[in-house]
Amino acid sequence: MELYKKPAHELSKMLRNKECSATEITESVFERIGSEENKVNAYITLNKEQALHKATEVDQNIADGKDLPRLAGIPVAVKDNICTKGIRTSCASKILEDFVPPYNATVVEKLNSQDIIMPGKLNMDEFAMGSSTETSFFKKTSNPFDTSCVPGGSSGGSAAAVAACEATLALGSDTGGSIRQPAAFCGIVGLKPTYGSVSRYGLVAFASSLDQIGPMARNVKDAAMLYSAICGKDSLDATSVRKDYSNFEDNLCNNLKGLKIGLPKEYFSEGIEPEVKASVMNAVQLLEQNGAKIHQISLPSTDYALSAYYIIASAEASSNLARFDGVKYGYRTKEYTNLIDMYEKTRSEGFGDEVKRRIMLGTFVLSSGYYDAYYKRAKSLQKRISSEFTEAFSGCDVILTPTTPYTAFKIGQNINDPLKMYACDICTVTVNIAGLPAISIPCGSDSKGLPIGMQLIGPKFSEQVLLNTAYSFENIVDGFKVPSDIR
Amino acid sequence: MKIDINHIAKLSRLKFSDDEAKKFENEMQSILDMVENLPPMEDIGALIDPENPMEMRKDEAVNLYKRDELLANAKQTQAGCVVVPKVVE
Repeated sequence: MELYKKPAHELSKMLRNKECSATEITESVFERIGSEENKVNAYITLNKEQALHKATEVDQNIADGKDLPRLAGIPVAVKDNICTKGIRTSCASKILEDFVPPYNATVVEKLNSQDIIMPGKLNMDEFAMGSSTETSFFKKTSNPFDTSCVPGGSSGGSAAAVAACEATLALGSDTGGSIRQPAAFCGIVGLKPTYGSVSRYGLVAFASSLDQIGPMARNVKDAAMLYSAICGKDSLDATSVRKDYSNFEDNLCNNLKGLKIGLPKEYFSEGIEPEVKASVMNAVQLLEQNGAKIHQISLPSTDYALSAYYIIASAEASSNLARFDGVKYGYRTKEYTNLIDMYEKTRSEGFGDEVKRRIMLGTFVLSSGYYDAYYKRAKSLQKRISSEFTEAFSGCDVILTPTTPYTAFKIGQNINDPLKMYACDICTVTVNIAGLPAISIPCGSDSKGLPIGMQLIGPKFSEQVLLNTAYSFENIVDGFKVPSDIR
Repeated sequence: MKIDINHIAKLSRLKFSDDEAKKFENEMQSILDMVENLPPMEDIGALIDPENPMEMRKDEAVNLYKRDELLANAKQTQAGCVVVPKVVE
């Protein structure tokens, strides 16, 4: 039985019916890792021994007739910027190459309390800065649909592992599109939740006002299942929001009747590849045929969003990454003459080029004489972008756009051109700037067979509406496909 | 806008060789040209969400970790403290 291919909700049912054991599920996933990982390179650290140990515990609980939490026995891999107690958390950086956290992130605590199996820690762009997972210090991850292409980023390891069935589910993090863009490139489902709905405690900070952890899965029901397990107020994160979070999986509903979908013209401009546009418009037609109402809308400040995003995110990054100095944890340079020399050499040897560029940009836009022209202006623009969304949502329930302007590109193609790489995020950054939830789901593929993703954006805390819309679309197209053969 | 790469590197506690500085200067310049594409904006203040305000927890001391657990990641320790180069002459 190829258990590694099965969706989480089905495995959960099989465990309860004693049709398989947690040990069999875990062994199946590790067999899959054994056969495909040399082509995909999704993981930085594997956690086989502990995973099998945990599976034995879950099987014992089943044998003892104990109540099983919803995610018990399900393999959920974790992006390597989320702290796992006793398991290296590197952020794919040399500077944290040997960092072993003494604590768990809140999301990891929550998943552990549900008895999940954690197969390992996933590759990513260094400090989540990048759109192709190529800035990782350790390795380059491949797209399971075509291993000569990137999986997207920064949660590229998470997306590739899920698409290659090397994990049943995965956690990613999204600061400007880092869950949705790789989900689109790898043909899976990725949800960036409302800012404040998932605790960031234990997520290595990149841009604290934009970062959010979210689920990545091969189908919408599984994404809803994982999201239900990780959301909620956490006293360890002051920005997490107290709310009555329902069970998103139980409330999934396949119905589009009367749903008002807005299409913002700015997201369908010349920059979007014709094949991507055609595929997204085909999806719009399907949604309309099944009861949704389509409205043309406008979000006029979209053109400036990328600039505002890179200013705000880099400013916060320059401040957040000041803590990496070789003193309390992480890499420390070998030879130095004094404290400042130690800081400078440690950071220069420990960070990769992309991280240095962002630190430098952030430092510049916050420096004396430039703060008003850059940072302050970007913060005002953030408010304007947010107001435009609020206005748009007075006339529609969800906004639909392409997730990315093009499909997965070749490894090495854009790595020496930062601006080209940044342009990947053009459709996704506005969502983080406004703190909104958005989901990317597959809606077709291009002539090369590479997946195309569409993005559904909703008002704050409208995850259920987004998941329901995505679920309805998944039913219309009869499910999403992952590659059967990885080459 | 022209960027003074050495000044920004100093503020960022980073060091570049001459060749690296040249490369970074060119890249940073093109990134700056991109982000300069912002419309003239009145200062309308920063985005806050009055419906979902931040909530601080009580400032209470709790013992969560043992000292040696926290020091386990430091590169150099002595007598339960982190060792750094001499700061005061």
